[in-house]
Amino acid sequence: MSKEPLMKLVNITKRFGHVVALRKVNFEVYPGECVGLVGDNGAGKSTLAKIMVGYYKPDEGEIYFEGRKVSFNSPMDARKLGIEIVYQELALIDTMSIYRNFFLGREIVKKLGPIKILDIGTMKRISERYLKDIGIRVRSTDELVGILSGGERQSIAIARAVHFGAKLLILDEPTTALSFKEAKRVLAYINELKKKNIAIVMISHNIYHVYEVADRFTILDRGVKIAELHKKDVSPQDIIDIIVRGRK
Amino acid sequence: MPATSRIFNKLSILLRLKEFSVFISLLSVTIAFTLLSKEFLTVHTFAGILTLASELGIVAIGEAFLIISGEFDLSVGSVYAVSAMASAILVRLGISPIIALLLALLLSASIGAANGLITLKARIPSFITTLGMAMFLRGILLAVTGGFPVELGVRHPVFEVLSGRIFGDFRSSALWFITLTILFHFILNRTRYGNWVYATGRNPNIARALGVNIFRVKFTNFIVTSTLAGLSGCIALARFRIIEPVAGTGLELEAIAATVIGGTSLGGGIGTIIGASLGAFLVGMIRVGLVLAGAPAYWYIGFVGLILIVAAVIYSLTRGRGLRYV
Repeated sequence: MSKEPLMKLVNITKRFGHVVALRKVNFEVYPGECVGLVGDNGAGKSTLAKIMVGYYKPDEGEIYFEGRKVSFNSPMDARKLGIEIVYQELALIDTMSIYRNFFLGREIVKKLGPIKILDIGTMKRISERYLKDIGIRVRSTDELVGILSGGERQSIAIARAVHFGAKLLILDEPTTALSFKEAKRVLAYINELKKKNIAIVMISHNIYHVYEVADRFTILDRGVKIAELHKKDVSPQDIIDIIVRGRK
Repeated sequence: MPATSRIFNKLSILLRLKEFSVFISLLSVTIAFTLLSKEFLTVHTFAGILTLASELGIVAIGEAFLIISGEFDLSVGSVYAVSAMASAILVRLGISPIIALLLALLLSASIGAANGLITLKARIPSFITTLGMAMFLRGILLAVTGGFPVELGVRHPVFEVLSGRIFGDFRSSALWFITLTILFHFILNRTRYGNWVYATGRNPNIARALGVNIFRVKFTNFIVTSTLAGLSGCIALARFRIIEPVAGTGLELEAIAATVIGGTSLGGGIGTIIGASLGAFLVGMIRVGLVLAGAPAYWYIGFVGLILIVAAVIYSLTRGRGLRYV
């Protein structure tokens, strides 16, 4: 693990009208590290994640990425720096083929005279390679996403983020709604990514799942960070106890 | 056993073809009308069907394009009439027919832009926006013309380009229809834009999350649909040389029917342009076939309705069984 955090958030405050969603939250994540962002409903996990990916602008506080102070006006700005988020429900379009999903919004094109057309061959080849890496077996990447299981879809969405150069990957509930076996496979894949020096922030309600991949835990409660723990110091049950106890 | 399984295999490949269902409909309707009338299976009749199908089909192509991106346009029938009427009036005012037609298309595109802006900015269903637009335009048409038709009055090569006879009973509008079908099929399947259209229609939230500008996609498609409807109106004007203010009434429903018969889902994200064009051809076939079979004209819309329901049921039953959409 390197000494300099990949992303660092300092004293982040975010309000929605009168509601303070986040109050002076500090957060950091290092390359090759996985941080579990946990807390009960309404803790502010998703708001913090959305600030990291440029979906929301914080009202106060600073964001540093690779040591430089940054400010995102849109998710596109964050994406350009290599910050990607994978949402459970916003991953893939079921009526489109696997390769079209893989490249959706960032299609590879080739020139045909004056016009640009999809380079279907290249897109298929690249997506096939990733499917093989993950261990998904399909007849071809022409198949619809609809035939894949939830875990396979989640893995493809993660692989897509990796392909497009994610340095920081934020996973929003990656294992929710997955079968036990499938969750295991997705978690194994996340562990593989850490070896590639990708920083991961995982949001989840399932503490046992986060515990399998996270090196560190940041616990939020109603907009405030209440604990910052290393895996070696706690058990999953300890984390659950802290969340349930909350602040006060 | 192996022989039957091989046949089964071939059948399943056929079933995977997106336009399979509309092929079956075309085939059965052809057989039915051939039995009912000796004149049905002739080149002359085919040309007549193609002429009708071209004018409807150009509207249906636009409608399919828009529906796949998740929106509707119920004002295409009115835009069709507005465009033809605007051309005819401008020509009668002494403006060069080419300029007049271009202005009519520009007007059609602007109506599409208005439909898009209102729908997307005010976040109201396009069903409502375009229904209102349809009624509004029809009212203006009737008010401006006093309900009377307007005759073109002049001859000009540009009208031959739109709908002149090219050989026998075949008209140039068929070439427009076929070219536009191929063009829009290509855009949907071979360009980035096409990918965005499908994604936007099926799930705008995912599309947006992946960086697709869904406003631009839908807005563009509203303009395309309206412009194609306007073009179709100009083609009809070139053929009839006269335009009534009530022309194109109900055309929007025929276009949507053709689109659905061709396999496009009203939910968005699923559909093909070739299917919509074949659907338009089927509707044209029913119109001509019923006349040849000596049935009263009223039967036509009822028959289209029946085919529409049957097609929708078939799609509903076959979808999700390995059918490929994109």
